[in-house]
Amino acid sequence: MIDLQGYGPRLLDGALVTFELAVLSLILAVILGLLTASAKLSRNRFVHGIGTLYTTLIRGVPDLVLMMLLFYGGQIGINMLTDQLYYAFDIDIFINVNAFVAGVITIGLIFGAYMGETFRGAFQAVEEGQMEAARAYGMSGWLAFRRVRFPLMMRHALPGIGNNWMVLLKTTALVSIIGLTDMVRVAAEATKATHEPFLFMLPVAVIYLLIATLSEWGFARLTKRYNVGFGESSEWNN
Amino acid sequence: MAATPIPLEARGIKKRFGNHEVLKGLSLEAHKGDVITLIGASGSGKSTFLRCMNLLEQPDEGELIVHNEAIHFRATKHGREPADWKQVERIRAKLSMVFQNFNLWSHMTLLENVIEAPVHVLGKPKKQAVDEARALLDRVGLLERADYYPTQMSGGQQQRGAIARALAMDPEVMLFDEPTSALDPELVGDVLKVMRGLAEEGRTMILVTHEIAFARDVSSQVIYLHQGVAEESGPPAEVLDNPRSERLRQFLAPKH
Amino acid sequence: MEQLNSWFTALLSGNAIFTANTLGFYWNGLVTTIQLVFLSLLIGVILAVPLAIGRGSKRRWIKLPIYAYTYVFRGTPLLIQLYLVYYGVVFFDGIQDSIFWVVFKQAFFPALIAFTLNTAAYTTEIFHGAIKNTAKGEIEAARAYGMSRRLMMRRIILPSAFRRALPAYGNEVIFMLHASAVASVVTIMDLTGAAYYVYARFYAPFQAFIFVALIYLCLTFGIMFVFRKLEKRLLAHLRPRGA
Repeated sequence: MIDLQGYGPRLLDGALVTFELAVLSLILAVILGLLTASAKLSRNRFVHGIGTLYTTLIRGVPDLVLMMLLFYGGQIGINMLTDQLYYAFDIDIFINVNAFVAGVITIGLIFGAYMGETFRGAFQAVEEGQMEAARAYGMSGWLAFRRVRFPLMMRHALPGIGNNWMVLLKTTALVSIIGLTDMVRVAAEATKATHEPFLFMLPVAVIYLLIATLSEWGFARLTKRYNVGFGESSEWNN
Repeated sequence: MAATPIPLEARGIKKRFGNHEVLKGLSLEAHKGDVITLIGASGSGKSTFLRCMNLLEQPDEGELIVHNEAIHFRATKHGREPADWKQVERIRAKLSMVFQNFNLWSHMTLLENVIEAPVHVLGKPKKQAVDEARALLDRVGLLERADYYPTQMSGGQQQRGAIARALAMDPEVMLFDEPTSALDPELVGDVLKVMRGLAEEGRTMILVTHEIAFARDVSSQVIYLHQGVAEESGPPAEVLDNPRSERLRQFLAPKH
Repeated sequence: MEQLNSWFTALLSGNAIFTANTLGFYWNGLVTTIQLVFLSLLIGVILAVPLAIGRGSKRRWIKLPIYAYTYVFRGTPLLIQLYLVYYGVVFFDGIQDSIFWVVFKQAFFPALIAFTLNTAAYTTEIFHGAIKNTAKGEIEAARAYGMSRRLMMRRIILPSAFRRALPAYGNEVIFMLHASAVASVVTIMDLTGAAYYVYARFYAPFQAFIFVALIYLCLTFGIMFVFRKLEKRLLAHLRPRGA
């Protein structure tokens, strides 16, 4: 058995942080993605413009820079806000920007843009005839959306969501740079202390591979289920 | 009589896909200037037979002799395969094939398609190849399309371009695999016209087709295949106008 | 020129952060980022071509190791790969005594190695996918015209696969530019490193990071522009004439 020199439990805690961070960011990204897709499909030019600006900016700037901007900038921004509160209303509070929250918000914000593109393409891929049929059977707008358009859209979106999740998972490693103790940070600290990079980095790499492999398998199964009635999936690729 | 080399000879060709024997010992002799047409229902093995001649399919048994040169085979655990792929490549260069779906190389212009094999397989100087290619494109009526890419042309134009590509190899024998089957009916005529011209100038051709009227006009020999067997064979006047078997009579009867 | 210079000085004198000194930092960071990204992409492509061909080989002992390589490098974060090379390079016996140590003790080369291995893995899969999607009929035509495997690869399969891979490769280039920001964690003064320095020095996160974000944005648009031009020229055969 490999001797992790006492870092084993911390490494496991770090892995849990990585996983929680990834899942929460994914949820935020999906919500933002759906909003972005609706904005980009909106006929309102202002709303459409906001959606486009958001996806363009996010996809043009490195994840790490956005993360630093939000984390370091966010702290100062909040400090300025609380200072104002103090001067104006004599309310004295101090809010410390939590690296975990900053991580979830940044990663969610970044992948919301990518998810937005995925959902937009998926909504557009749903044939209008399917919705016409739903209306012809007397479904209300919301009911038709919930029962027909959304499930059909998900079928088209699943491969893209899968790809985004795989990239998102790897992006979580960046939070170690802004000070969050995920498994990469634990491994980096252990490496600096013991000068044993392989001992700590390789297990972390294996955990990433494990999560990636399991998710790939899971998404393949989901895709299969959503593709009932559509023959073999031809869209699944990464 | 001095033996002039026979451009292509196939003897006792057999081919199996799994347990299914699709060719059950077929033979054919294409002399210079012959136009041999293979007809038969789909699944009769006519395309497979043609594809065995340039070894796109490997025959399990039988001999192939191209211009007096027999193709060597060697036994492997899966059956047999050509012993010398260099020989196969050399022989393929003498037998140009025209495909049902044209198969022009999509990233090259029409002119580049035509000069590709002459320059890179035969080693012709590029200048000469271009001059010859332009003459050939003129002949099939596509000179003004020389700089078009395949996707920018109609099916009939692509197929005439593919024939120019085949001619550029100055082949010993031309193999046509259902060259008009993928074309819209109104485009078939132009392609058949080009092929008729080739037959008339004495090109040796082996042809798989459903165009019975065309086969009657240009063929020196017609072979009717059924389930991998040559059921009837002979000049078109004999095979097409006086079929002996009931099956061939039904095959030729106007239908649709 | 003189006028421009004085105008520039006047502009800079108005603020405390973007002095000629910090702008120099950003400039050096830009040069480092471009060197790092360009070199790793270049070497990555050179490695990816034979790897992509091998990845499609029928022989398992060729294709399986390549698949394992791309799977591992695409399945783990670049940051981990960077740490492994950066901290792991000293474990090569005798490297610290060899002449190579001069280059390896700087962070630039371990980073270059990690980035190259990473982009080569992604590029291999992009090329492999494009090669696999070559139209079967076109390959058959090449065989029917007497082309050897090698000639077919060189003249038919690769030229058409490279063209079809162009959009995906453009994304990979942008991805690499953005991913290169992690170089700053191993002491490299790339663009992000410069921005972090300016942030820490002046405690001005908005100015420091928004400025660098704009530089990255310009670089991204530049890359997109170049690839769009390239696609227009090299993918002409996929569009109707005159379009």
